[in-house]
Amino acid sequence: MYLEISKMAWGALVSNKIRSFLSILGIVIGVSTVIVVVGIGTGAKKQIADQYKNLSATQIMVMGMMGRGAITNTKLKAEDADVILQKVSNVSDTTAFISGNDTISYGKESSSASVFGIRDNFFSITNLDLLEGRFLTADDNEARSKVAVIGYGLAETLFGEDFDSNQVVGQVLTVSGGKKIDIVGVLKENGGSAMGRMSYDDAIFLPYLTTEKTILGGNTQATIVVLMKDVDYVESGMEDVTAVLRVEHNLKLTQEDDFRIFDPGSMVGAAQESANTMSLLLISIATIVLIVSGVGIMNVMFVTVAERTKEIGIAKAIGAKQEDVLSQFLFESIILSIGGGLIGVALGQIIIPILNKFDGWYVVPSFSGVILSFTFSALVGLFFGFYPAFKASRLDPVDALRSE
Amino acid sequence: MSDLAIKMIDVHKSYYLANGEEIKVLCGIDLEIKRGEFVALMGESGGGKTTLLNIIGCLHPLTSGKYFLEGEDIGSVRDDYTLAFIRNKKMGFIFQQFNLFSRLSAWANIALPGVYAGIDKEKRDIRALELLKTLDILERKDHKPTELSGGQQQRVAIARSLMNNPEILLADEPTGALDSKNGLEVMDIFKNLAKQKKTIVMVTHTAEVAKYADRIIYMRDGKILDNNYTLKSDY
Repeated sequence: MYLEISKMAWGALVSNKIRSFLSILGIVIGVSTVIVVVGIGTGAKKQIADQYKNLSATQIMVMGMMGRGAITNTKLKAEDADVILQKVSNVSDTTAFISGNDTISYGKESSSASVFGIRDNFFSITNLDLLEGRFLTADDNEARSKVAVIGYGLAETLFGEDFDSNQVVGQVLTVSGGKKIDIVGVLKENGGSAMGRMSYDDAIFLPYLTTEKTILGGNTQATIVVLMKDVDYVESGMEDVTAVLRVEHNLKLTQEDDFRIFDPGSMVGAAQESANTMSLLLISIATIVLIVSGVGIMNVMFVTVAERTKEIGIAKAIGAKQEDVLSQFLFESIILSIGGGLIGVALGQIIIPILNKFDGWYVVPSFSGVILSFTFSALVGLFFGFYPAFKASRLDPVDALRSE
Repeated sequence: MSDLAIKMIDVHKSYYLANGEEIKVLCGIDLEIKRGEFVALMGESGGGKTTLLNIIGCLHPLTSGKYFLEGEDIGSVRDDYTLAFIRNKKMGFIFQQFNLFSRLSAWANIALPGVYAGIDKEKRDIRALELLKTLDILERKDHKPTELSGGQQQRVAIARSLMNNPEILLADEPTGALDSKNGLEVMDIFKNLAKQKKTIVMVTHTAEVAKYADRIIYMRDGKILDNNYTLKSDY
């Protein structure tokens, strides 16, 4: 029975193709917008997650003052990390590194790379994984060995995109000043970065003392990473670290800190929050588009009902129940909105890869976007189609028959 | 079982205008139509013929009075389900302007009351095909109404009214839109249906058409003037 009525509804729509098409246009645009917008939101969140994936919420970072802020003679030293580990409670580990840039060469290939002078626990604190070879050890540091672990991207630059990681370990690199460095390890591709700019993929990691002595020089300020035992300790940890460092650096009460301290976890939170706000905003705009398109469908359905008043009268005269008339018109609007929804889903899938071809766009197609928009469009059809269909079903048969 | 197909006692029907003014269309109709009787409703325009037909066909509620259909009091029924059931199974409507669905083929138009009755597609198609044969329009089964002549369209409409094999046929000026040749052919069909003991109530203002009926009821100003009107002899 409903199958028959839905067939009749389909027939009515097909017989008026242009109107049907125009009335679903709004739904098509609305649904594809929701899909793209949800994709943009998912993309932004994924980007943030990638960017900060080497940070954990329990980290506190301490950096030296640079440029104009460097008013004191004291500098942040690797030893400060040891003092913090000793004196601040609820700290699970600390590490220190120095970083800078240098030109790294292998044969004819050379590349500018971030140089990190690190302690042996750096890799575990930053969650970096090894592809081949070994990490740096405390002994490497003590001995100021000329050994290095290199990032995946740097390996690609120096040894070609299809490099054999087995072959890379054991190769000798040249750093500025002609010094030779042995590669002892290659990292897995990471994709993220610690501070937004410095990518671990394009970096070279050497023992702290080696770096200080042979590449960056003794005046470079260290960066200290403090790992608290739990997120709840981060706030008090920041106060404690500040107090310990002020004492260590002999700062008077009137003097400002000669270092910057921050917790990257809160940066991640803030970035995620703004991404959420953005996607919420975009989704609400798309929702408005869908609702407006629903009003469009309602409009078209009212016109259709008005045009087919006589038909409704005939149908009632030959035995159609109110329910039959209601379901036919309801089917029409649901077919319109589901049809529009399907086209919109397809269009969204076409638009997303096109957008991704443009710089700065990062749209991730998401299944939840498809489900969300499709369900919503079907509901829009049901909701906005109901009133015209209801009116149609309640028409007086004689009045309806009399209309032309 | 009553031998009366339709019985009405003091039926009134009024419309109310927006300003509250009452327009009386039917003023006290008493009517008895036997099973298998072929009755023509005649009278002046605005006399209430079509309104009476619509009330018989359960398209209109009556304002006051009693209406028995095959002995059952249905004058007070307002339930859409029951009314739709009566229109679907008990009656067949035939209109002056045919009132076919322009999007559907002749075959599908005839089968439509079967859809509303919830009959299987297979049975529906067979029944509609039978009717196409009976009414001699089989070769036109796949044509849309716009591709049919007026006479053919009215045959399709008659076939549709017979789809659920109703006891009663209600026709509102069935020949009004046809030329005389086609009109006479349609009347022959009605005569045949009357022979098959269908109860037929037909509104007409043409004596030539009315003479096919067993009995003519003459109406004026919402009242029945003559329950057994005799046509002037020159017809």
